[in-house]
Amino acid sequence: MSDAIRVTSVTKRFKLPNIPKNATVKDFVIRTIRRAPGGPVVDALKNVSFSVERGSMLGVIGRNGSGKTTLMRIIAGILQPDEGRIVVDGTVAPLFALGTGFHPDLTGRESARIELLALGVSREAVAELMPRILTFSEIGEFADAPIRAYSAGMTMRLAFSVAMCVDPDVLLLDEVLAVGDESFARKCLAAIEDFRHRGKTIVLVTHDASKIEAWCDTALWLDRGDVAGYGDPRSVVAAYQALSTEVPPEAV
Amino acid sequence: MNQYFATIYRYRWLIYELVLRNLRLRYRGSILGFAWTLANPLLFMGVYTLVFSVILKNGMANFPLYLLAGIVPCTWFASGLAQGATSILDGRLYVGKTLFPSEVLVVVPVLTNGVNFALSLPFIAIVALLLHVHLGWSLLMLPVVVLVELILLQGLATLFATVNVFYRDVNELLTYAITALMFLTPIFYTQSLVATHVPQMAGILALNPLAGIIAGFQAILYGGAMPDLKSLAYSAIVGFVLLATGQWVFERYRESFSEFL
Repeated sequence: MSDAIRVTSVTKRFKLPNIPKNATVKDFVIRTIRRAPGGPVVDALKNVSFSVERGSMLGVIGRNGSGKTTLMRIIAGILQPDEGRIVVDGTVAPLFALGTGFHPDLTGRESARIELLALGVSREAVAELMPRILTFSEIGEFADAPIRAYSAGMTMRLAFSVAMCVDPDVLLLDEVLAVGDESFARKCLAAIEDFRHRGKTIVLVTHDASKIEAWCDTALWLDRGDVAGYGDPRSVVAAYQALSTEVPPEAV
Repeated sequence: MNQYFATIYRYRWLIYELVLRNLRLRYRGSILGFAWTLANPLLFMGVYTLVFSVILKNGMANFPLYLLAGIVPCTWFASGLAQGATSILDGRLYVGKTLFPSEVLVVVPVLTNGVNFALSLPFIAIVALLLHVHLGWSLLMLPVVVLVELILLQGLATLFATVNVFYRDVNELLTYAITALMFLTPIFYTQSLVATHVPQMAGILALNPLAGIIAGFQAILYGGAMPDLKSLAYSAIVGFVLLATGQWVFERYRESFSEFL
């Protein structure tokens, strides 16, 4: 009935400026004189529509470069769609494996504070949330050690704790549940389970089709920016796997 | 533009936190702490006083104070611009991948150096006191001059922060440009000196938007007089135009940043 996320005909193009990486002023002059055309346009998402019901979990699958991360960034509000509309009802917290946004020189405590403030949490609420985050993440005495001293698992634990303690209405998870030891993974699952029971919404991006079948209410399959399948997780995953085995992905 | 200011305001506590952290990092592990920030303008003051006042005998009264009134705001400008221009490159960890608002990254170095500037002001007052220079009610105009410098600095920093993402060697050019700008701004000479000796240069120098700001500081902190509002207004207008342009370019290309970092 009520949708937490409604995506209507969303198209996202990347118009890359036609500049080589590490360009110099010389390149700029040459480019201007030659009137170089604009860079290539990549359609990362083409006319994508779907909705996620409040309190449900959507699983997104697709090969590398199919637009999954772009979609997550659009839902998070990091990117704006070129066409179409996206409505998210409530607050969003993203938790992406690529780029937790933790600076290696900062301590865990400082990182968590900055992350919370960047998420738009008020200063008073930050002070209130901090002890809970530090306890939940189980980083212990590492709270005041710089992130560079953290293991990948510890960094992820801290990032996960920040996202969970913010208690957003919509939680975005991009390839993050693979890290952490078993006991923390169980704790994560319990937290997510509790989160869903309280009527909150989750979007999960993963390559692990079995998780989508096991946890999600709906599945979305993206293929080169198009919606290739949408609906019941079992049938979407089956169709995705059938195609993946038929046409092996070109040199991954 | 309104959107830009709204974002800055919305994330004011994030900015506060980051500025505070920068200051802490800078003074952490140094016994002298803040004294290091003063060491730079003090050194300049000493050397320039020696060169221009003692050796060249320019005959200006209270020359050390005049120098300080120009060097301190100029240092803010130079360091703020140099660090602001690389802020998006330095913040690659946040840009485009997280909800971290990237415009904040440019504001932080500008304000961090602004705090250092503000902390140096009492020191200028002490030097004025020692030299028996009376500063008057024009001190009330100080926030206005500070604001004009802030706008101009933020505008240029935003512009260069964007361009630097795509053209890396711009930063080297900027380093030279900043040095040139320092010399083309009357810090150890005066505008009137230029007007009498090389009148044809005076018009060109007046185009420098930083000159009006620095002259404003010198009027208040050295002359005890009101700043020239006309040249200050010129600086403010240039500042606003640069900020609007910088912010427009930034907005136009912000989604391409992460591809180039």
